Amino acid sequence: MSKLWILCLCACMVAFVGCGKKVTRIDENSTTDLSGAWNDTDSRLVADEMITDCLNRPWYQTMIQQKNGIVPTVVIGKVRNKSHEHINVETFIKDMERALINSGKADFVANAEERAELRSELASQAGNATEETRKDAGQEIGADLMLTGTLNSIVDQEGDEQVIYYQVDLELTDIQSHRKVWVGDKKIKKYISRNSVKM
Amino acid sequence: MKRIFLLLAAILLTSCANKSMTRYETLAPTLEKKGFDATIAEVKKEKDDLYGSNSEFLYYYDLGILYHYNRNFDESIKNLTQAEKIYEDLYAKSITNEAAAILTNDNTRPYRARPFELLTMYQYQILNYLAKMDLDGALVEVRRSQIAMNALYQKDKDKVNDNGYLRYLQALVYELDGDDDEAAIAYIKAIKAYDESKMGLPKEVFEFATESLRRMEREDDIRALKKPELPSTPKATAVHEQGQEIIVLGYAGHSPILGEMYLSGTFVSAGAMNLYYKDGETGNRVSFTLVAPPVPGAGSETFHIGFALPEVRKYKSRVNQFEISLDGKTRIRPEKVMDVDQELRQNMDDERNTVITRTAVRVILRTIAAQKAKSATNTGNGILDLLKNIFIDVGQTQLEQADLRVGLFLPNSFHMTRIPVQPGSHDVNVAAVGPHGETVGVYKFDKIAVRKGQKVLLIVPAIK
Repeated sequence: MSKLWILCLCACMVAFVGCGKKVTRIDENSTTDLSGAWNDTDSRLVADEMITDCLNRPWYQTMIQQKNGIVPTVVIGKVRNKSHEHINVETFIKDMERALINSGKADFVANAEERAELRSELASQAGNATEETRKDAGQEIGADLMLTGTLNSIVDQEGDEQVIYYQVDLELTDIQSHRKVWVGDKKIKKYISRNSVKM
Repeated sequence: MKRIFLLLAAILLTSCANKSMTRYETLAPTLEKKGFDATIAEVKKEKDDLYGSNSEFLYYYDLGILYHYNRNFDESIKNLTQAEKIYEDLYAKSITNEAAAILTNDNTRPYRARPFELLTMYQYQILNYLAKMDLDGALVEVRRSQIAMNALYQKDKDKVNDNGYLRYLQALVYELDGDDDEAAIAYIKAIKAYDESKMGLPKEVFEFATESLRRMEREDDIRALKKPELPSTPKATAVHEQGQEIIVLGYAGHSPILGEMYLSGTFVSAGAMNLYYKDGETGNRVSFTLVAPPVPGAGSETFHIGFALPEVRKYKSRVNQFEISLDGKTRIRPEKVMDVDQELRQNMDDERNTVITRTAVRVILRTIAAQKAKSATNTGNGILDLLKNIFIDVGQTQLEQADLRVGLFLPNSFHMTRIPVQPGSHDVNVAAVGPHGETVGVYKFDKIAVRKGQKVLLIVPAIK
């Protein structure tokens, strides 16, 4: 009987040791997969790879030549989430903006929403700022190209196993001619297994 | 030491009350008298006492639904998302919990949601995103609901795992997105799901489905569904051609709850199990005999057993339909698109064999264990032994509780209609009507602005 009590006590101690929250700082570039859902790593890797691919294709040199060596200006349009998860598309767009700017191969202008805010600020300056510091309207840089895209997913599941397939499609379109200069995609496949029984 | 422990356990167990009944008795009057705000506050304040850790899904589910009625769609989304996460986390069954449930009762297991609760959760989420004008968000919920339905089907294809109203909402969302192919498929599935349910197919759903399938040149699909062909679809055609519409969604009445049916009788291992109970609806005493399975160690002794099973108790709803007037002229009575009463009854039918088997195993094992405990703790003192045995019996009876957990704030039925309108300002009055045609409440939506091509969703939560 006494052995049984000792065993119970040990089990309780083990249980208590496992309680509580532990926080550890990790590298922002490290790969972390907890639930199997779309995460920051997917967003960053897809943005980096696709923008790199985009800027290293033949259309780029052609455009540089057409513009006498001036880098093209890009605006990011709508990226639609057509997946089965509530993905913060804003984060993905920011990752693409970062990859574009850091490449040094393209200029990048504010998107429609940001432009509206900037124009409102400009209008406010017109009536309130001093003449020396006031910015003029009509001086915006018009983008040459617009980047748009979709984020899709397919889920296949059976019992304890699940495969999630993400596909990100991006398109770069010439704003003047509406010609698509680049179409790219990036696929991510995740296998998730779950235990149907636990202690 | 062992004897004292047994006595204490027996005393402790007598103080256990069924939390589900307490929850209902506390929250139903608050909702009736004080409304959604007060009920939300009460649910949050009494989380531990009324829900506890084993009913965490229900806590977030109930809160999410209450916030939806209160038009706080962000909070509703947050709580229903949490409920969905808990449901997914409960995929793995805990051996210790299952073992504890065999020794005590099913309330010690974490609540895993009934299929219709899970599917209504996606309905509310789709509507939350539509109400926020977030079409992409609604589409995500549509896809998540399809994955959930597939998982339910894979889990047990013989049980109800589809829902006509959810399929109808999916079709609506696809239409809003301009994805007519997906909408047509969702309409076909809606018709099939309604046909499989006891409720039957609402006329308006069929009209919109017919319109969609005709436009996609899928008349063969309509014929394959073996439905009488509609000569015309004026309302659906008007919605499609004009673009803009007002969608009225009414929540009528209060969903049924679960009560406890207590059965008692005798059991002889590998012999007979004679049981009787009082019918909750008729009040009649019903008795029946089953073949008792052989139980190792039970011998040929006759044991007195008692066990509790859940049964549906209909809530006398004060509202069971709606009447809509548009701009003081058109009068429309939206059709019932989902019947929660039937959903719960169907779920109880689907689960009956599992619940009875689990209960029988639990009660028989516990009864035999109690008999053994009585013999093992006999002191030889007649009075003391009698008292001790009474304590053990009382404790055992108190331990036996049916799992009565169910979402508390669903309506008794969902009603929906789609009204084509001209762009401009519209006044919509929705009367909540009782079973005898009496008006129980009026919900006024004055000067509703409808832009060209816009779909305006009006929610009428008559949970009375």
